[in-house]
Amino acid sequence: MEERIKDRIKQELVRANTTLNPECEKIVRDYKGLFSDVIQENIDVASETGMPLCQDTGVVEFFCFKGADFHLAGPLERILSRAVKEVYAENPFRLSTVSDPLFERKNRMDNSPPMVHIFEKPGNTLEIRYMLKGGGSENLSRLMMMKPTATPDQIKTSVIHHIKEHGAKACPPLKVGIGIGGASEQALILSKLALTEEMETHHQDKRYRELETSIYKGINELEIGFQGLGDGISAYNVRIIDLPVHIATLPVGISVDCYLCRSGRVSFEL
Amino acid sequence: MNFDKLVPGSEIAYSGELLVMRDAAQKRIQQFLKAGKEINVDFDGKLVFYAGPAKTPTGRPIGAIGPTTSERMDGYLEMLFQLGVKGTIGKGRRSKQAGRMCQKYKGVYFLTPSGSAAALSLRVKEHRVILFSDLQSEAVRLLRVEKFPLVVAIDIQGNDISRINR
Repeated sequence: MEERIKDRIKQELVRANTTLNPECEKIVRDYKGLFSDVIQENIDVASETGMPLCQDTGVVEFFCFKGADFHLAGPLERILSRAVKEVYAENPFRLSTVSDPLFERKNRMDNSPPMVHIFEKPGNTLEIRYMLKGGGSENLSRLMMMKPTATPDQIKTSVIHHIKEHGAKACPPLKVGIGIGGASEQALILSKLALTEEMETHHQDKRYRELETSIYKGINELEIGFQGLGDGISAYNVRIIDLPVHIATLPVGISVDCYLCRSGRVSFEL
Repeated sequence: MNFDKLVPGSEIAYSGELLVMRDAAQKRIQQFLKAGKEINVDFDGKLVFYAGPAKTPTGRPIGAIGPTTSERMDGYLEMLFQLGVKGTIGKGRRSKQAGRMCQKYKGVYFLTPSGSAAALSLRVKEHRVILFSDLQSEAVRLLRVEKFPLVVAIDIQGNDISRINR
């Protein structure tokens, strides 16, 4: 099983780096503004040559939902780390991690470590979600500690303001993930998790769903467009995930993914 | 090539040299200048491309390469212009200060498409690392490119494409 997980994840990471997913491809192929010829040519060149769609092949983030009865011989994190090291050694991707973060910033030369989050659940299955997170989109991550009395409109205004100021730097059209509630760090993790949801899914609660739609419309009205040049859509979608929260707090985490949306999901069963 | 008559939104297919550098190299150049150390790079009239390529596949001059966020480099823009750089290439909007620098030094800021690194790499014909090789993907490089797609975002008057579009 350990080898099976590693090999499958390796396949997924190569695919995500070199092939645009069908939902995004349809929208990108329809774009007609500045640079559209090069952007569309890029999809073909990457899949034909094995070169990555973007030179920033990212830090790899994993969100794992591990069944309590899904037993492995060793730590899952080690399997994922080996998969990342092998993929980034075997392909013409970029090695984009340095340590230490402040003083030396020396390239680690293996693109490790992946950022791994493991959540337990009942059962004997393992779901692994992954995302190749480029630096340009990661720099837009924000945590806002709002007042517990804040209204949905205030959250909407804050999110839209943030995207208006910074969205053009993160290679739009963007996927926008919002985490509401939990503790501060959880709000950010939820916002990342929201980016790994399938494109067409929405929050199950109608009120949150309406907020998603309302923020989505507001971002598209900004007319940031492809490459920040004003043509085409500005956001693919907006997804919210919520958690219970302390009476005195309302953390709101924001994360965005770039127009390539290099994420996916795989499941394993014992 | 003369860039002085270009206005925001002008599209060009640039052929010539590009000097590639980004965060880490510019930080180090600034430290070198402060310490009075020599930097053996010809900046005069060059275009600086804010980028860090992926690994070079066998048989190609360079791997995937594309622009990184220019705004992060705004603090080093005046240094580049003082070294003789004519223009910069990257992605995204820059600060007002960057516009003023372009006006002051008659420099241009170009956009080139982000997330298009495989296609852009085909337009690079020669590539060599010329400084700070220990910085790996962030090392300073000299490229020779053909028909590299650029759009003017800030012209030598400091006019900005975003202000013209809206």
